[in-house]
Amino acid sequence: MESSRAQTIARDVLAILVVAIFMFPIAWWALSSIKPYSAIFDRSGPVYTGFTPTPDNYRVTLLGVSRVDIGMEQGGEAAGVIKGGASSYDSRQSLLDSAIIAVGSTALTLLLATLAAYCLSRMQFSGQQSFLFWILSQRFMPPIAIVIPIVFMFRDLGLRDTYTGLILVHSLINLPLAVLLLKSFFDDVPREVDEAALIDGATRWQTFRRVVLPMVKGGIAATAVLCFIFSWTEFLLSLFLTTSIRTVPVKISTFVTSTATEWGYITALGTSAIIPSFIFILLVQRHLVRGLTLGSLKE
Amino acid sequence: MASVTISNIKKDYGALSIIDGLDLSIEDGQFVVLLGPSGCGKSTLLRMIAGLEPITSGEIAIGDRVVNTLHPKDRNIAMVFQNYALYAHMTVFDNMAFSMQLKKRPNEEIKQKVGWAASILNLTPYLERYPRQLSGGQRQRVAMGRAIVRDPTVFLFDEPLSNLDAKLRVQMRTEIKELHQRLKTTTVYVTHDQIEAMTMADVIVIMRDGRIEQIGRPLDVYDHPANLFVASFIGSPAMNMLHGEVASERDAWVVRTDELSLPLPPGAAVRPGQKVIYGIRPEHLRPVANGRGIPARITVVEPTGPEIHIFASLGNTAICSVLHDRMEVSPGAVIHLEPAPERIHLFDQGSGERLDKGRS
Ligand SMILES: Nc1ncnc2c1ncn2[C@@H]1O[C@H](COP(=O)(O)OP(=O)(O)O)[C@@H](O)[C@H]1O
Ligand SMILES: [Mg+2]
Repeated sequence: MESSRAQTIARDVLAILVVAIFMFPIAWWALSSIKPYSAIFDRSGPVYTGFTPTPDNYRVTLLGVSRVDIGMEQGGEAAGVIKGGASSYDSRQSLLDSAIIAVGSTALTLLLATLAAYCLSRMQFSGQQSFLFWILSQRFMPPIAIVIPIVFMFRDLGLRDTYTGLILVHSLINLPLAVLLLKSFFDDVPREVDEAALIDGATRWQTFRRVVLPMVKGGIAATAVLCFIFSWTEFLLSLFLTTSIRTVPVKISTFVTSTATEWGYITALGTSAIIPSFIFILLVQRHLVRGLTLGSLKE
Repeated sequence: MASVTISNIKKDYGALSIIDGLDLSIEDGQFVVLLGPSGCGKSTLLRMIAGLEPITSGEIAIGDRVVNTLHPKDRNIAMVFQNYALYAHMTVFDNMAFSMQLKKRPNEEIKQKVGWAASILNLTPYLERYPRQLSGGQRQRVAMGRAIVRDPTVFLFDEPLSNLDAKLRVQMRTEIKELHQRLKTTTVYVTHDQIEAMTMADVIVIMRDGRIEQIGRPLDVYDHPANLFVASFIGSPAMNMLHGEVASERDAWVVRTDELSLPLPPGAAVRPGQKVIYGIRPEHLRPVANGRGIPARITVVEPTGPEIHIFASLGNTAICSVLHDRMEVSPGAVIHLEPAPERIHLFDQGSGERLDKGRS
């Protein structure tokens, strides 16, 4: 359908508007992170402009500069320094913890899910439908329902407060969706491709590894993004299962203390936490090309 | 190269019997076409030969080796699929080289072999392309290239041309036939297209509901269909079928239909009162002068260029005649058509079997 110039413009304006609505909270978060303390809590209303941007919140959370030192730099304003230890807002270790757990659980999920999904897509066994439903049913349960038993199990297994433990739990939560999602991508690759490879002399494993897997690269990338984001943002299980390891969401929650809520640090760390996800998505994005299987088939 | 011998093959899917006791022997170097309507079990049979589908019972031998339990890769066959099933992430070269790479053949040999296949199939300029960058016909050729580089003893084709447009289909048909004449590899080719079967086959195997209805050379099958099913399945426009009863009139056998009496050739294996179907191909129904033949009212005239198809009605029966000569005819007029007596096919109404099998 030909659309007139006016229609095109209207559509663009609408698109920009929608994006703006979704972007606003993030932008506000980012803006607040560079505000000085006084601009965050301005009694006269929200502050959009007219403040002096400061990197201090980032220096504290990402560089580990203590707030005492910053107070000293500003001279005299040492009153707010009393509470908060020297480095309890230093979040570098948290970013590392989160990265290890997110990458680890994404890798583990993909490893298990691609194998499972390929089997479910290609092989037939009795009770297959029920098995698929059982996989799906794992998502019915809210995490809060399993967290207490897992805490006890992990204590006995020595998995509490370990990377391995959290990687396992995040994989556990991600697996059902990853398996079902990947199965649909494998289903899109016609069986004849496997059969052609088998006739060509490939073993099942070679068929999987060298023929089918590369053809679902796009699907794997998409699944990886979802798994990574889940693990990166997961709060509840991380909170219960760790004490010394602090993932970013848990770390942020500690910025709300009994005496104050450190909005400056929360917004700074929150804003920084978007970046790794963003980089991860950029990295896999080139694999998210649609129609990768195009060409193996008829028109 | 090798023969293929199928003995008393059965295939069930659970309680459903798809093929029930089928025998077929294919000679070394033959081009055999399995022809039949969709769902009759052609693909299933082909896939059992390939080893992609387990055999319920019976025996399949390639050469003198029973292959029932052999893995597809050990049967030394190559298969071309309807949807080509190319490896989308590999170049044309790698698609063709894959089987040899798996066998760890030396690079030189792979290059030489793929180069040879590509030159036969006119794919040399496209070796570095990906399947998605090729046209339908080129993809089809890549699928064939992948098959021929392996020097298989048997080629299996499952409706390889049905995704191509009509013109390309005709062209590829010729190419496949040429390829067979060149390589002389035993070929089993599945199609539901009778023209493909007629033009390509050394031997046509006509199947219905998992059974073989007739085996024969294309023209033999065309000229002497063994039963009603084969008669109506092969030939376009389809054979005219008139229902009638055998009677004796003035010392001669005739088939009496509702409207008329059709003379039978002497010596037809029929008995009086027998209910039969009188079959005559459209091209064997010729217009004659008034007073002779079957008078029929023309309903539709379809000139195709080389031929004119005349559809006419004879009482409640529609009949068709194909003329090779130009002729001025118009719908509504009455045309007199006369069957060529030596081209008549008689079938029993009950069994559908051909009645003049003794002849020919
Ligand atoms: N995996 C299967 N399970 C059950 N029935 C099947 C299966 N595959 C094929 N069939 C049935 O077997 C019959 C023959 O199929 P097929 O060999 O593909 O026919 P054709 O190739 O002649 O069109 C069809 O009726 C089809 O429904
Ligand atoms: Mg088929």
